Amino acid sequence: MSHLRLYTGIFAALAAFATAQVFVEQAGGLPYWTAFWVIIALSLVKAVLVAWYFQHLKWEPRSVSATIFTGLLAAIALTAAAAYSIL
Amino acid sequence: MTDETSDPRTDGGERVRESRRGAKRTDGGTAAAGHETDHHHGLPAPSSIKRWLVTTNHKDVGILYTVTALFFLVFGGVLALLMRVQLWTPGATILEPLQYNQAVSAHGLIMIFWFLSPFAFGFANYVVPLQIGAKDLAFPRLNALSYWLYLFSGILFGVSFFQGGTFAGGWTMYAPLNLPVYTPNIGASTAVLALLLFVVSVTVSSVNFLTTMHRMRAEGLTLRRMPLFTWTILLTTWMMLFAFAALLAALMILSADRLIGTQYFAATGHAGSLLWAHLFWFFGHPEVYIVFFPALGVMAECFQTFTGKRIVGRKWFIAAMVLVALQSFLVWMHHMFLTSINLEIKTLFMATTIGISLPFDLMVFALVYTMLKGRVRFTTPFLFSFGALVLFILGGITGVFLGAVVLDYEFRGTYWVVAHFHYVMVGGITALVGGLYYWYPKMTGKMYDKFLGKLHFAMYFVGFNLLYFPMFVAWETPRRDFVYPEIYTTWHQLSTVGAFLLGASFLVMFYNLWVSLSTGEDASDNPWQFSTTTEWAIPSPPPLENFPGKPSFSSGSLEFLPDGSDAGDIEPAGPGGREPAATDGGEATTDGGEAATDGSETDADDGEDDDDGKLVTDGGRVMTDGGQPMTDDEQVVADDGTAGAADANAGVADEKATDGGTVTVYDEHAADDEEHGEDHASIWPFRIGLTSFLFLVGLSGLRQGSFPEGLEGGAYLGLTVVAGVGLLWALVGMGREEFHGLEGPFGESWPFTGINNTKLGVWIFLASDVVLFGAFVGSYAFIRVAEGWQNNWHHLIPADHVVLPGLINTYLLLTSSFTVVLALVACEKRSKWGLIGSLATTLVLGIAFLINKAMEWQHLFHVHSEAFPNGWNIGTNVASSTFYLTTGLHALHVIAGLVITLYLIARAWNGAYLDDDQPVELFGLYWHFVDIVWLFLFPLFYIL
Ligand code: HEM
Ligand SMILES: [Cu+2]
Repeated sequence: MSHLRLYTGIFAALAAFATAQVFVEQAGGLPYWTAFWVIIALSLVKAVLVAWYFQHLKWEPRSVSATIFTGLLAAIALTAAAAYSIL
Repeated sequence: MTDETSDPRTDGGERVRESRRGAKRTDGGTAAAGHETDHHHGLPAPSSIKRWLVTTNHKDVGILYTVTALFFLVFGGVLALLMRVQLWTPGATILEPLQYNQAVSAHGLIMIFWFLSPFAFGFANYVVPLQIGAKDLAFPRLNALSYWLYLFSGILFGVSFFQGGTFAGGWTMYAPLNLPVYTPNIGASTAVLALLLFVVSVTVSSVNFLTTMHRMRAEGLTLRRMPLFTWTILLTTWMMLFAFAALLAALMILSADRLIGTQYFAATGHAGSLLWAHLFWFFGHPEVYIVFFPALGVMAECFQTFTGKRIVGRKWFIAAMVLVALQSFLVWMHHMFLTSINLEIKTLFMATTIGISLPFDLMVFALVYTMLKGRVRFTTPFLFSFGALVLFILGGITGVFLGAVVLDYEFRGTYWVVAHFHYVMVGGITALVGGLYYWYPKMTGKMYDKFLGKLHFAMYFVGFNLLYFPMFVAWETPRRDFVYPEIYTTWHQLSTVGAFLLGASFLVMFYNLWVSLSTGEDASDNPWQFSTTTEWAIPSPPPLENFPGKPSFSSGSLEFLPDGSDAGDIEPAGPGGREPAATDGGEATTDGGEAATDGSETDADDGEDDDDGKLVTDGGRVMTDGGQPMTDDEQVVADDGTAGAADANAGVADEKATDGGTVTVYDEHAADDEEHGEDHASIWPFRIGLTSFLFLVGLSGLRQGSFPEGLEGGAYLGLTVVAGVGLLWALVGMGREEFHGLEGPFGESWPFTGINNTKLGVWIFLASDVVLFGAFVGSYAFIRVAEGWQNNWHHLIPADHVVLPGLINTYLLLTSSFTVVLALVACEKRSKWGLIGSLATTLVLGIAFLINKAMEWQHLFHVHSEAFPNGWNIGTNVASSTFYLTTGLHALHVIAGLVITLYLIARAWNGAYLDDDQPVELFGLYWHFVDIVWLFLFPLFYIL
């Protein structure tokens, strides 16, 4: 039951962050690349919240998180190195 | 020189065989009673065709893989011979130029994808569960599904030849040659789809093997003690999981370009072809290790067995392999040295490439030293393994040349590369052929003809070098071309002669293996004297349930415990296990002596703990196996003294009267203990394979998003629709089928204790999906960088593409995730209506998401602005292509999720999930994942 409140709180936070992402862009005060990283960071935080609580990674063996993280690393390596190769 | 050591006159030989035969008879008896009726669940006898359509047993599937792979070896081999005939003189035209291109491309694709890996996975299927002491894989039906998808993907590739010709752009499928402008045949699309289906098969089996090997090892079989072949398969499947996900992305994008007209690989000039190269080689370099590692595993096993020596520096050998597996994802650009990527990155990748060859050196040395320290028995499997090592060394050295940027400028696109990768890859095949001889007695219960085996090796090895070595000499021959400098004619003719010799050597093998099936000597449980792994401790071929009880390594040696008992219940087999070896007669005594020296030597060497474990394992096996009749009495006594074993006891005594095999006793108990028993048969995997195949044949007719006019187009369209419905039916059918797989508790599960098989399987699958979507996002980022991230990019997008629909969809999806959480909470509270209500809300939100998206897309399709007078369609430009395809793939995931939701609602309606909420939880994992993906797509495609 106490979990339910936790879940509800997280849901509210997720919705708020999504809204914040749009505001960051439309407010227009920040330089593009600053805004870019803020927005990506917000997405990352949201993703971690969903994975950690909604998908219960918090309560699973760490090796499961490590597996997913490895996949993420692979994807980032591909993206970053490929993009860099044509800069 | 000692020959194959299965001489029936030595000790155990006769006796083992006798007791085994006895055991087999009883097995047939009790097992027939026990198994066929309440155990087999409809698994017909091996002689009936139906058996092979419905079986889910890992040994059956292993045989299916092996046989099918060998078929593709012949297929690919015939194409190769055609090429070699063409190359007899420069510029000959036995084949039309385009036919030649097709032969080259199909040969490469078939050999690498449909022969080499599946051949290794035939052994993996058969042997890995035996080596780790598991009765089957974690998901037997998915294993069968992998096989059927593999077979049908291969047939699909075969079909492509008859649709105007198959793909002709080389196995690397470089862009833009892979686009319809250059490869216009429908068959070319079919080939791409066939590979796509193959990748699905690979993904399914990666998940299956990883779950099995991590979760289902017998007690005491820690990773440190795990046999080397299983180790190589473990690392191979990890690499497969991530590497093939990138290939899946590449092939999906390519299919989209070919079938519905997206513009990834064409429209952006050089960036399109670079993108393909990145995606392909990010997969492709790990792939070369994926095909090579299992071969390395076979080499390690054969070197150990036939030198009577544990591999030198085992720990380091394993560490080196782990290192290589990781590094393999960091060297891919050495295949792109001649592209326009910048010099810094080329240098970096040259360094990582040099780095990756170092651990390989260590492995090679370990094998060489093992051989020098041990006493070699030149059996057929050893000859092939040794040959493989020699070939690999040559191939590896020539690879280092290619890894140097400057040298590669010279070598790229020449026969040097062709020779290099044939030495390494076909070197790998050499080891796997050794594996086929090594495990043939286990898989068939028959021994092959040893003379013919050696003849095969002689022809093979000479043929191989005659075929490939001249390619180094004639290296200036352009790759994938049949016109070459006149001076090389003799070399190429030698090559062609070698090719036919190599081909002929396989005829010897096929003849040998075929004839031995009926006329070969019966093989004992363990035809190789110094084999140490578990598969050799059980009959050849093993019974359906593999083991005479529950395998355990807890005492440091292998034992079979009555089901349901713990490791502590029975006295460890102890070192007495060595005894039978000592009674072996003259030669065996020497061997025993050698083994002893061996042990102390190794101990002195590095004093590793698992040394002992390994050696005793060996001893224990010998005891359990051949030593049974002798030690039976002792065992009864021992058992008497053990509390709570009375039951098993009586069994031992009883059985002894009949045939003296403890083996069968436990078997019977096993049958009694499992009230429900496992299922071994399902027709649904076959049906899914068949309908997927037909569905893709239908889809191959698509071009630019529509089917051609007329009869042909109608046929393709009709097939797509009918087979699509059939596929859905088969998927649901498999979902609804009651099927009992293996249930725990299992022994060793590190590092995945505390999570059950199914959930782990879902997580592992999601990890590969992370890479799939990661590669899609990566492709988007790459193209956008190439176009100019900010300014140019925004010119490609109409002003009508606004944030709001995306934001609304974000809210919808987040809320639907929340309702899935609520559904699980409802299950815990046992509230049926809470569950149904939450799921129904999820369904409604998901549908709203799709409707919103459809409206948005409709609007964008029909914008009329100055920049986009004809709307913003899938094929308008790269920005529209990446937008529609990436979010479209996501939408497909949503749709799949909604189908599952519907299914869950229907079941919940009937009261399901209140006692067992796991299905709801697993669905949640998937749904939240889809949500997470959107959390990234939204800013990337709407905000930034
Ligand atoms: C020992 C270390 C190795 C090094 C340093 C190495 C290096 C290279 C390099 C740099 C290339 C690119 C050549 C070019 O296209 O210009 C290449 C190609 C290739 N290598 Fe290796 N390699 C090694 C081992 C292996 C192994 C073990 C395999 C497979 C079992 C393998 C399979 C291949 C294949 C198939 C190609 C050709 C790819 C194509 O079709 O373009 N290599 N290797
Ligand atoms: Cu490579």
